[in-house]
Amino acid sequence: MNRGVALELDSMRLAHYGNQIPCLICDEGNTPDAESCRNCYAPMILAHQAHSRNTAPVMFAALGPSGVGKTVYLGVLLDMLSRQPKHLQLSARGGFSVTLQHSTLAALARCEFPSKTPNEPDRWNWVHCQLRSPKHRQPVEMVLPDMAGEALFEEVDHPRSYRVIHALLGRCDGVMILIDGTKLQSGSIDEDYFTMKLLSHLTEMGSDPKASWATRPVALIFSKADQCESCFDDPAAYAQRHAPGLSRICQQRFHRHRFFAAGVAGACATRPVRGAGQQMVPLRVEPRGIIEPFEWLVDNLRA
Amino acid sequence: MEQSESEANMRSNNAISQNTVLSKLPDWLGGIINSTCGATRMKEQATVPVEQPAAAAVEAPELVAIECPATGEVESVVDEMLAQGRYALLLRPQLIKNLTHKQLSRTRTALSEGMCLVPEGQVVIRRNPAPSDDDKEAPPSEGPSLRVQAYYLDRYPVTNAQYYQFVASGGYEQLAIWDPEIWPALLDFVDATGHPGPRYWREGRFPRSDDNHPVIGVSWYEALAYSRWTGKRLPTDAEWVKAGSWPVSIQGHPLLLRRYPWGEAMDRGRANLWGSGPGRTVSVYEFPGGVSVGGVHGLIGNVWEWTADAFLPDAAEASGVSLQAKMKSIRGGAFDTYLDCQATCHFACADVALARKHNIGFRCAISLCDLAVKRDVSAEPSQEDEEQTETSFAENQT
Repeated sequence: MNRGVALELDSMRLAHYGNQIPCLICDEGNTPDAESCRNCYAPMILAHQAHSRNTAPVMFAALGPSGVGKTVYLGVLLDMLSRQPKHLQLSARGGFSVTLQHSTLAALARCEFPSKTPNEPDRWNWVHCQLRSPKHRQPVEMVLPDMAGEALFEEVDHPRSYRVIHALLGRCDGVMILIDGTKLQSGSIDEDYFTMKLLSHLTEMGSDPKASWATRPVALIFSKADQCESCFDDPAAYAQRHAPGLSRICQQRFHRHRFFAAGVAGACATRPVRGAGQQMVPLRVEPRGIIEPFEWLVDNLRA
Repeated sequence: MEQSESEANMRSNNAISQNTVLSKLPDWLGGIINSTCGATRMKEQATVPVEQPAAAAVEAPELVAIECPATGEVESVVDEMLAQGRYALLLRPQLIKNLTHKQLSRTRTALSEGMCLVPEGQVVIRRNPAPSDDDKEAPPSEGPSLRVQAYYLDRYPVTNAQYYQFVASGGYEQLAIWDPEIWPALLDFVDATGHPGPRYWREGRFPRSDDNHPVIGVSWYEALAYSRWTGKRLPTDAEWVKAGSWPVSIQGHPLLLRRYPWGEAMDRGRANLWGSGPGRTVSVYEFPGGVSVGGVHGLIGNVWEWTADAFLPDAAEASGVSLQAKMKSIRGGAFDTYLDCQATCHFACADVALARKHNIGFRCAISLCDLAVKRDVSAEPSQEDEEQTETSFAENQT
């Protein structure tokens, strides 16, 4: 009797395993109890939650080189939108979706910047949330990953080395590209080249002209603008002055793009770190220009 | 020679014509500013740990010879100064004897309406934020207890309308009230249209309807110059914290300090912070619930406030933090301050002394010892004034 029952359960499990769940990012089939996708390593919880709502979530990505401030930007953005009682509101779906904002704000409250995001996709912070905005009658499901800058540029330099990034950029409805405003101001040309590489990579993705990045919204955000305040006055003019190559490629290849400036720390000091040179220390938290790029992306979502 | 050349350049760049009467004031001012007893001594006293004996009794300020204009001209100058909010200058020992009883009464009324007295006492200016969840066992570390002498602090931050008086009277041209080290940078202290004034003004004027908003876009040096022009100074860190936390000392117990001017718990309805206000500065008269025990408004939120001190170098060194440039202390948080723990009476922050930010303003202070607490009746110029028996001004205010 007991043996018969056990056989029945096993067959149930086998049948269950036969019904594979596609990864939300790369569409690869995975077993129902898989924690992360066997192909791209994206967390499968995203697929389970999206499956329960039966709607494809909107995806935005924050892109930029390592140390540009992607984690701080996303963490503070999510925290602001989940706390403000105004027109644009985010509600986290699942405890894991709160981790990014929690860890970011906890670090800032200690007058530290959050630690570097690891390169492994299964260790990134993924956010699944619901967006409520006046433009949408129903709450919009949304997925935002906090990707590692080094992994991103590995993928740009060697396409398909990070399958999750390749799949995500193909699926994204819009991107926020962060550019270090202070480095541009100090005359560094690296930021200009990094961003041009990234934009060139996007333009070459996909063969369907209707789904190309030329028509998808791209928000270009000068981060750390609190330390180069002229960014805030006219970000587009700032781009022309300090990153002419970037400015030109945007005008030629991206029909829907806009420059923004954002800052989180009102002022910074430095602290020597053994083997890592000088580390920036945020003296206070006063977010500025954080919500505007995201709001613009939401307004420019394809119908 | 260099100074006169700089002065000439400044004049040629200033589009604002000076008031002829007020143009005489810098000659008076130089001597009075230099005779300030509290500005420097308060700072020294504030940084002396309480274990050491406090500074000796207040010395009488050194009197300087002032060539006073004719009586009628004095009256017009006094009226002008009162209209400009420069009452603190008139209450200096050097000038008070020139005032009629009526003028003295008006001046004292202006002082009591514009400033409130913070009594002398001890204060702790460094208290770490509440420990995080991971660190609940760690006790909050406190800095040394400091003694602060009695002083007056502006009830409200300096407003655009008040600062306009300084700009319109050629304050940016009066080199006597500016630190010599900053003279080369004076030509950079211009508004959006190139006129001398705060960064966000246009054509030497503040935005319409913002007259009661705190002035912003001013560097620490501009704040200092304005405070000198009004006969005041910037408060020290210790003074600022004392006005907000209003310490109570009970023998045998640690000093009782408020975390916020209104108590121990954050109440966003009492301060213009991120999420509780319109996301920009508001009139200094808004958020009346944020008043301190002593009657000082708007210490928390709306704008950070410059203080006279450098950014706690001892605390910065202790944690290995190095500052990139000369940074001056700011206190109180602003309309965009995001974290509650950074909008307390004790949170110490800083910015570059030359920074002209959208959320940093200031308020002024004056030491009690810099004001004439009693007028010498033998020096009274009129019969009316001789009949007056002067009582201690400080006693009345207290």
